Order: sequence, then C-alpha cells, then structure tokens
Amino acid sequence: MKIGVFVCHCGENIGRTVNCPEVSKACASFPGVVHSEDYKYMCSDPGQNLIKQAIREKHLDAVVVGSCSPHMHEKTFRKACASAGINSYMVEIANLREHCSWIHEDINQATKKAIDLMRFAVERVKFNQPLETIKVPVTKRSLVIGGGISGIQAALDIANAGFEVVLVEKEPSIGGHMSQLSETFPTLDCSQCILTPRMVEVYQHPKIKLLSYSEVEHVEGFIGNFKVTIRRKAKSVKEELCTGCGLCAEKCPIKKKALSEFDEGLSNRPAIYVPFPQAVPNVPVIDRSVCTYFKTGKCEMCKKVCGREAIDFTQQDTFVTEDVGSIIVATGYKLYSIDKKPEDSIYKGYGEYGYGKFKNVINGLQFERIASASGPTSGEMLRPSDKTVPKKIVFIQCVGSRDESKGFSYCSKICCMYTAKHAMLYKHKVHDGEAYVFYMDIRSGGKNYEEFVRRAIEEDHVNYIRGRVSRIYEEDGKLIVKGEDTIAGLPVVIEADLVVLATAMIAQQEAPKLAQTLNISYDKYGYFQEAHPKLRPVETNTGGVFLAGACHSPRDIPESVAMGSAAAAKSLVLFGADMLEREPIIAKVDATTCAGCFYCQKVCAYNAIEKKEIRDRLGNLQKVVAFVNSGLCQGCGTCNATCPSKSIELIGFKDDQIFAQINAFAEV
Amino acid sequence: MNELKQICKDALSEKKARFIIGYKEDKNKRIKPFIAKTPEDAEQLTFNHHAVNNLAVYLPRFKNNVEGKIGIVVKSCDLKAVTALIQENQIKRDDLFIIGVNCSGVVLDIAKEFNKDNTQIKCKYCQAKTPPYYDALADESKDFEMPDDDQAELMAKIDKMTSDERLEFWNAEFEKCIKCYACRQVCPMCYCEKCIVEKSEPQWIDTSSTARGNFSWNIIRAFHMAGRCIGCHECERACPMGIPLTLLTRKMGMVASSEFGYRHGMSLTEPTLIGTYSTSDKEDFIK
Repeated sequence: MKIGVFVCHCGENIGRTVNCPEVSKACASFPGVVHSEDYKYMCSDPGQNLIKQAIREKHLDAVVVGSCSPHMHEKTFRKACASAGINSYMVEIANLREHCSWIHEDINQATKKAIDLMRFAVERVKFNQPLETIKVPVTKRSLVIGGGISGIQAALDIANAGFEVVLVEKEPSIGGHMSQLSETFPTLDCSQCILTPRMVEVYQHPKIKLLSYSEVEHVEGFIGNFKVTIRRKAKSVKEELCTGCGLCAEKCPIKKKALSEFDEGLSNRPAIYVPFPQAVPNVPVIDRSVCTYFKTGKCEMCKKVCGREAIDFTQQDTFVTEDVGSIIVATGYKLYSIDKKPEDSIYKGYGEYGYGKFKNVINGLQFERIASASGPTSGEMLRPSDKTVPKKIVFIQCVGSRDESKGFSYCSKICCMYTAKHAMLYKHKVHDGEAYVFYMDIRSGGKNYEEFVRRAIEEDHVNYIRGRVSRIYEEDGKLIVKGEDTIAGLPVVIEADLVVLATAMIAQQEAPKLAQTLNISYDKYGYFQEAHPKLRPVETNTGGVFLAGACHSPRDIPESVAMGSAAAAKSLVLFGADMLEREPIIAKVDATTCAGCFYCQKVCAYNAIEKKEIRDRLGNLQKVVAFVNSGLCQGCGTCNATCPSKSIELIGFKDDQIFAQINAFAEV
Repeated sequence: MNELKQICKDALSEKKARFIIGYKEDKNKRIKPFIAKTPEDAEQLTFNHHAVNNLAVYLPRFKNNVEGKIGIVVKSCDLKAVTALIQENQIKRDDLFIIGVNCSGVVLDIAKEFNKDNTQIKCKYCQAKTPPYYDALADESKDFEMPDDDQAELMAKIDKMTSDERLEFWNAEFEKCIKCYACRQVCPMCYCEKCIVEKSEPQWIDTSSTARGNFSWNIIRAFHMAGRCIGCHECERACPMGIPLTLLTRKMGMVASSEFGYRHGMSLTEPTLIGTYSTSDKEDFIK
C-alpha cells in the first residue's frame, strides 16, 4: 500500500508548537509511506492541490492528513482525495491541533507526540477499506405535529414547495397560543388578523391534509421512511357533513359547566363547541366529560337541531397510518400553572402570590384574553372579580423563570416583551390608570424590542420597579402587593386592582412521551434537544426529525416562524434527492458468530437492531441473529462495545483498525 | 425420591416434555447428567446431595426448538441460569417444562459424603431452597444446618488489600491457569458460538498460558459475567487447578446488588442490568 502523509501547519495554530517539517520528515520513514510533505494551510485550494497532485503522481492508495479535528475538515480532505481518484474512506485524519498543539507548550515534546499521532493514523489507514455511501429511498411527504404558528409555517412552506404535508393537531382547531393573543410586540398588530389568513390557507391547501383533534400514537421506520400511526379522537361530529353553522353550540343546554380553554378559564363554553369563531376546521366537538347525553343518556339537543344529521354519539377513536419522509415537531409550550402543582413536583411554586385563590391575580395569557377584542370582555379592560376597570395594575415578571429555588433556572425570554406590551395596552385603554412592572432585568434583545420597552416606559409612563414581590394578599377588595425596589433600596407596597403574573413558559406535559415515541432527546425540563446547539439547531439526533418553535425552548412569534421555515427547509433538503445518501459508518453483524443474546438491541438508542432468522435451504430455522437496519443506524458503536462475542463491528472503526492504532502506540 | 420419578414419568407419558434433562446414578454410584426420553428412562432419574451439575448449560442448544417442550430438573440456583437464558434469548419459557427440586445443599467433593465440611460455598449463603417458579415441584429436601460462609470472610480480607496486594493475590492464582477453558464450557451463561478468546483477527486475548495470557483471559471472562453471573459456582467446581473464580463473580454480583439493587436471574420480568438504562443509575464513576 502506498500512503501519502500531509502535515498542516494550520497557519500558526499547529506550526507554533509543533515542528511540522520535522514531523513530515519523520513520517517519510514509516513503513508504507511513499510521500510526505507539510504545508501552511492544507485545507486551502493550493493545499488540497498538493494532495491531489501527490495522489496522481505517486499513485497513492491511502492518505493521512495531520491537521485540525476531523469534525472540521475530514469532509474537505475526503472530497479532495475522491476527486483525485481514491476512495474517500481511505483517508485518515490525525488531530494535531486540538489533541496536540493547542494543549501543549513544549515544542520538542509536542513534536514527538505529533509524530506518534501520525504513526497511529498511518498504521490504522493500512486496515481501512474502500466504502460506498448507503442509498435509501425517500418518501417525499412530511408530517407536522402541532398546528401552532410554527407548525403552520412549516406545513405551508413544504406544501408550497409542492410536497404533501400531514398536519396533526391535538386540539379541535389549529392556531395554537398565537390565536389567543390580543396584539403582538413590537408592532402591536392584531394577532388573529395576521394568523387567521394563514389558518385558512392551511385548510384550503390542496397539499395539506389537516388532522385536527388527533395525536401521534406510534412511529416506526427511519429517515425518509417513517410510518406514523395517528389517533383521531372521536369528535362525536361527522366532519364531512358539518357545515359549521354553530346551531348545536347555541342550543346546547350546558352553558356554565365547562370553562373555555381558549379564554383560559375566564369564560364558559357549551359541551359541544368550537374553541373560537375563526376555528379551523370550523367543526365542533363534544366534550364527553360534561355532555348531558354522555352522562345520563338523555338530551340529544344538538342532534335534534342539526339539519345535516352530523352528530354521531357512537363515534369511536380511529387510527390512520401515514407514510412520511420527515417529521417536524412543533408541539409548542404551555404556561407554568403555579396554583396546581402535582404532588411530586420538584418546583415549589408561588403560593404567596395567591394565583388561583384571588380572582384578580391572573397570568399573562389570561390578560391577553381580557385585552383581546374576541375575549370574554370584548376587549374592555375589566378585571375578573367584579368586571370593573382596574385603576392600578401590577405586572410581575420572572414568575418561575430564572428562579432555581422555586421554579426553573432558564429565562422564558418572551415575558419582558409581552409584559411591556401588556402595560402599554393597558395604558392605551385606561388612560388614568397606573401600571407597575416588577422586573429582575429587562431582556429586550431583538429587532425594535428595546425601543418598544423604552416606549412603554417613556411614552406610556409605565412604572418599572427593579425587584421581586414577596407577597400578595387581599384587603378591602384590593390586592396588596408587597415588594422591594432594589435600586432605591426601599420596600414597596402597592394597592393594586389587578395583578398579572408573567409565569414561565414550560414544555408540554406529554413532551417526554412524544420524545420517546419519536426517539429524540429532551432536556431535564422536557424541551426537545437539538443535534448541535449552534450548527444544527433544528435537527434532532434522529435523522429526519426536525424541531420548530417553543417545543425546543422558549421562543417568540418571529423566532417560531423562522424555525418553522428552517425545519421546512431541512425537510425540503431531504426531498431534493430521490435517494438518500448516508455515511457508510454503521454497525455490521457477523451472523456466523452472533449468539443472539440481543444485548445490542437493548442498548441501541436508535432502534436499529432487528431480529433476523437464518434458515437453511429447506426452510428450517438455523438461528436467530441480530441485524442492523442501515437506515436507522447512526454508527455510534454502542452495540459494538456491548457485544460479548465481538460479533458486531463498526464499519470504518473495525477492531483491526483500532488494534493497529493501539499496537502502534505500544511499540513506542 | 419417588415423587421426582413420578413427576418425570407422568410428564413424559403425558407428553408434557419430549425428554427430561436430569440426573442419574451410574454404576460407580456417581451422579451424572442424564437425558430421559421415555417413561422407562425416567425410572433412573434421581436427585440427591451429589447432583452438583447445573443442567441449564445444555439449554442454549435447544434455542431454535420447534418440536416440543424440554423437561429439565433444576435446583433453585440452576433455575437462575434458566431465567437468565430466557432473558438473553437463548431459550423460550414456552419451550420448557421446569421440574424444580427442593434442595438442601450439594457436595463440594463428589467422592465424599455430604456433611458440614463437604458443602459447596454457594449453599452456605443460599436463600432459596425452593425454586421461585416451576411447572412441577419435587420435594427432596431434608433439613440441614449450613456451616458458616467462610468465603465472605476471605472476600472481606481481599477488599481490605491495596490494589498492589490484590494484583499479587490474583497473579498468584492465575498463574495456575492452564487455559483448559473448563470454566467456560461448564458455564451456562457462556453460550457464545465463537468465544472472544478464539478470535484471531485481531486477537483480543493472548492464548498462551503466560502471565499476560492468563490474566487477560480470566479478567475478560469475569467482565463478561458482570451483571450476568447467576452464581452457580460451576466454573470453580470445574477448574482443575483450583482457582477461586467465584471470588470474582460473587464480588461482581454483590456490587450489582449493592449499587443497582439487581440480582441476575431472579425475575423473568425485571430488565437485565446490562443493557438497561435507568435515570436513577449512579453516575459517580464520571469524574
């Protein structure tokens, strides 16, 4: 085998601590090495050309490059070598930068180590084998889970590019939290006015299949080839017959028993309902937990009034399966409910703020509903207890956020902005009212965000008090807010009519379950984990599953929309080719020695190990062995390490390659 | 005695099992493994203090069984191996007809009578005279007072050694090893078709009976038993050189139990220690 060795100075990065010409000289004497040289920037065009030229002139079979981490330029060098005619997997990188020059000071010793690292790589490359990329077919169809603004954006982008989308929404209508908002920062344009056209577009789009009131039940398969089972919850209404006239909801005798989810419990809804008038699809569902018919077997009022005979009390949950190539998770967030905590919750909560106890202590989303023209007060600024106009209003930020002792250590990011917006909306409607904001810091990074907050303070005269509130209690119909002004160093007591808590954004309760269904990771808060915090922010560790919006971390609308589009773009990249190309670095089972203990299956994080029956020519079962699904395997090597009989090897990291490396080390 | 014979006879004549792996007494009065295929064969089946072998070692060869159930006579320690083999896909529970026997201890030296000084170590700390589950149970048990668990004392002594002293101890023990692999052959959990010691490209374990080869074989074998050894002590019984192999395997079992609350082969439903991640797993080894 003819091996070429190339030592990169990486400018001064390697060259400063490693004597690269000396390394190159030493490498020339290694058995098998027929060419060795060093260059200032091996990754540059002239550097790559040196490699290509050497391959052509000296007919090299393999190449070892001493340079930065393979994470940086392995692909670059592989490509260069491939273009000069050798298989790209005949290239090995010795990491002379992160593993050597950056962490050492002594030039002599670093040079000696660099020579060692090069020798290991040279010995290893002798056992490399040419590999071909794996090709997998792609189903050019996408599943979007969650019909909030992020999911809507993703679905529309993919559909507009000409590919089919299945959009699954667990609520009766798409729209998500954005449909509940009154106005949006920093422009104060009406949330529903900008959202509902998008919702209608989704509904009418010929490429989008909308499955509302549905949930993902089961996912199997792998990138480009997922099979998804979706539970369609029984609406008790035949969707294809309903015209959305609304007569059923109007006549339903149950008016007071159920709290409206859409109005955050500030109003009531009937047992048969659409969440809000602009709902998409405009088809009601029956809430069986409160419906008189489902409780007593009598009533059927909705059925009697429905001219289309669309009411069906016997409807059952049904299951549909969809084949898709990519999955976009856009399941959003929920607000930290500080009154109701599960018993075993590690979060201690804020009982001292009296949320759930005092009617006039509300959270941010409830304030949105009060401020919204479609809300329970038709946009009039009235407090919940007695429907009077609050003259003094207190906003408390960071309730649950940035609070390790009682809540969550992260920043919910949007509260500073929406609190400024709330205070502003209040001042616009109640001109003689006073608004106070308790804050820890004002975090207003974002285009026109800081200006927006300044406007609230300077033009609308909102009183910002830096400090925390220790307690809220009721006295003579007033809420006594006791806090501290840390800048003045004085205690503050405000007699407020209404208190709005900017409670933390938290992950959906079912997020970990969904993550397990999709085989993606999630953090300790239940937010889904991206593949790389900087360079792969919308990908997950499972190929073909992408993230969009606040299910990943607290996000505002523009960011959620951007992330929806980004996830759509990632899906479209996938759909750009008919066949998917995958790195051939995957595990392979030696069926002749596999004993079938299936410990590999237990440890595989990607469900890539299957059982395979081996039969003789007469069809008699010989043995059952492990088999690696090349579409699912990510080449992590866990199975390889687990296998007691060493019957699984990781292609590209085979035992003989690693042994050669270790032996080279032992020979020093 | 009649009870075991009767159970086996019935099982074979009623086709509950197509054969039964059990013990018989040979003409030299030695107890050895025996496969009874007919009700007449079953007449020869027996069980007593000399029935030392763990018969579960035969089971993996029937893992692709399609014909009918395999009967097997097991002590409670042997049943742990059966459980572990089921969990590791080496045999199916549905393919087994398990005949449990109440056991009050087996001999250390098969040439001598069972008594206080001739008792296997495992019996001294055995907590289950009756197998936890079975398809039929034969009661062959007599009450017997167990002597003290002297191995535990030795283990406590080894625990107190410095790592250098411990290495010296084991080097001295492993020096005896002649690489006959009897420990592997007799172990019910060593069912690999090609043992790692037989892999030559690359060669993981030096096969020569040198200090290095002996050490790597015995330590790798012990590692492969981590969280898997069911404690039948067959390896030590089979070792012709008298290496106290169970000191290693028992210690690892104790660690699995103290650190993870896990004992291999005790439950068919409990997930295996190896290959199962739990968020409550200790991570104090990550520094």
